[in-house]
Amino acid sequence: MNIVVPIKSVIDVELNIRVQEGKIAKDGMSYIISKWDENAIEAALQLKEKHGGEVTVVSVGPDRASESLRKALAMGADKAVHVNDPAAEDSDSFGFAKILAKVAQRGPFDLIITGKQAQDTDMGGTGPILAELLGLPQVYNVIKLESDEPSTLKLNRLGHQGQEMVELKLPALIAANDSLNEPRLASLRGIMAAKKKPLDVLKLADLGLSPDEVGAKGARVRTLEFQPPKRRAAGKKFEGDAEEVTRKVMDLLANEAKIFA
Amino acid sequence: MSKILVVADTKGSDVRKPTLELLTKTRKAGLSTDAVVIGQGVQKNADLLAGNGAATVYVADDAGLAQFATAPYAAAIVDAAKQSGATQVWLSVGEMSKALGGALAVRLDGAFVSDVVELELKGDEVIATRPAMATKVLQRVTFAHPGIRIIAVRSGAFDAEPQPPKTAKVVALATPKGDERAKVKGLVAAQDAGELDLGEARIIVSVGRGVKGPEGVELVRPLAKALGAAFGASRAVVDSGWMPYSAQVGQTGRVVAPDIYVAIGVSGAIQHLAGMSGSKLIVAVNKDADAPIFSVADYGMVADLFKAVPIMIEEVAKHKQ
Repeated sequence: MNIVVPIKSVIDVELNIRVQEGKIAKDGMSYIISKWDENAIEAALQLKEKHGGEVTVVSVGPDRASESLRKALAMGADKAVHVNDPAAEDSDSFGFAKILAKVAQRGPFDLIITGKQAQDTDMGGTGPILAELLGLPQVYNVIKLESDEPSTLKLNRLGHQGQEMVELKLPALIAANDSLNEPRLASLRGIMAAKKKPLDVLKLADLGLSPDEVGAKGARVRTLEFQPPKRRAAGKKFEGDAEEVTRKVMDLLANEAKIFA
Repeated sequence: MSKILVVADTKGSDVRKPTLELLTKTRKAGLSTDAVVIGQGVQKNADLLAGNGAATVYVADDAGLAQFATAPYAAAIVDAAKQSGATQVWLSVGEMSKALGGALAVRLDGAFVSDVVELELKGDEVIATRPAMATKVLQRVTFAHPGIRIIAVRSGAFDAEPQPPKTAKVVALATPKGDERAKVKGLVAAQDAGELDLGEARIIVSVGRGVKGPEGVELVRPLAKALGAAFGASRAVVDSGWMPYSAQVGQTGRVVAPDIYVAIGVSGAIQHLAGMSGSKLIVAVNKDADAPIFSVADYGMVADLFKAVPIMIEEVAKHKQ
């Protein structure tokens, strides 16, 4: 089973994020593989271990994206493709999907696994758009995956009505939720091996894409600015005897917040 | 001329409150609006949608649409959007809105923005505000493409002012084409009957790892019942199997913004906070005074939940008399 896993190198959102003049302040930030993409990598590795084949990780981004790709190779992916082109910067979901579609089409594949959304924008459009561009069936928000035979996946997704079962014929695209698995850590041996694995660096022209189609120029959705979130007014916190604290807060909820009114 | 197509969000065969929020917004803004409703047995909602402002109601009602699948749902919306001449398609944010929005962006040759909490509209000039980076920032975006604007709006972004039904102008859509390659086989476990929907509830009581197990969950459940609240959970509780997936609040599960959110034994991982910090009033009980949940709580109780919850239930009963 040949699997393509698009990954994104993003600012670690656990850090203190600051906005300066409408932009995310980049100084002092560190970058990681977007959380849900790690679940996608893990799912791909498990399928490869069961059915054989190759896992190719792909990232569109500046130089630092190669670190994320090396990490994925260290986890056990076989090959990496890095689309590193200034004209691809500030792509929107549609732009990323166009680039990823061209990369996927370079070789035969059975499955594409994405994260449910990237942690920087939380937009979640790239995977679904990619599936449509390639004419693939897609299942979003996958929390369980079984595959007795390599042509079909038995999936549970977290859907509108709870856990829904879907049977999916490959080739296809799935988007991983973090309940799907626990991503492995790279072993020391994996890290050493990753240094020798192929990592192709491509420009847009290598994929037959013009700079107008993607990046800031081709973006269908443009970011005007970032703003700090609206601060909640500071709350009240009560400590002490459990019963006293509870009765006090319940009294405030009734008489100050008037939740029973 | 701009025209909005509101995609009705249904539970079972009933239209949910977030749809009325979208229709209230377009009605009050005086925008030309149609609606489309998809599912099994959903035709009955047509008059409700009309009463709330849909000039034409497009209906795809078929047994094969009882459960969401991207291909037929997208096909029905594309059909409705083309017949209606819509320039914008509005969805409610749910577990499947990202899959649907992305698919529609390609099929309608438009662009998609998810998780919108504020909309500034001047015809089809749209500025949308949405939380990003686990709600640590707000991102303001606009459409830089002439195609259809596909916008998924979070519940609670607009207020619903429901209007009585009136006779609808209904257009029945041809049964949309599904995709045999992705077959929805049904639910793993049926949701508990009578349970309030997280997306519609005015109050949510939610449990975290601090409840320690299924007994702890059962200790808190009566509090939800007493408050008339929906009963939710953090990812840790759901992954442990103490509560069903349908109860999961957070970026990984359902993003909610009720009037009142009561977090019991929830420490407040960023994905959880990102899923509930839009709630109007937040109450938290946790014995760890440093738990991140207190950073968003309006009323925080640093207390052992096993002592606090029975007293809360007693107090609620007193005040409800």
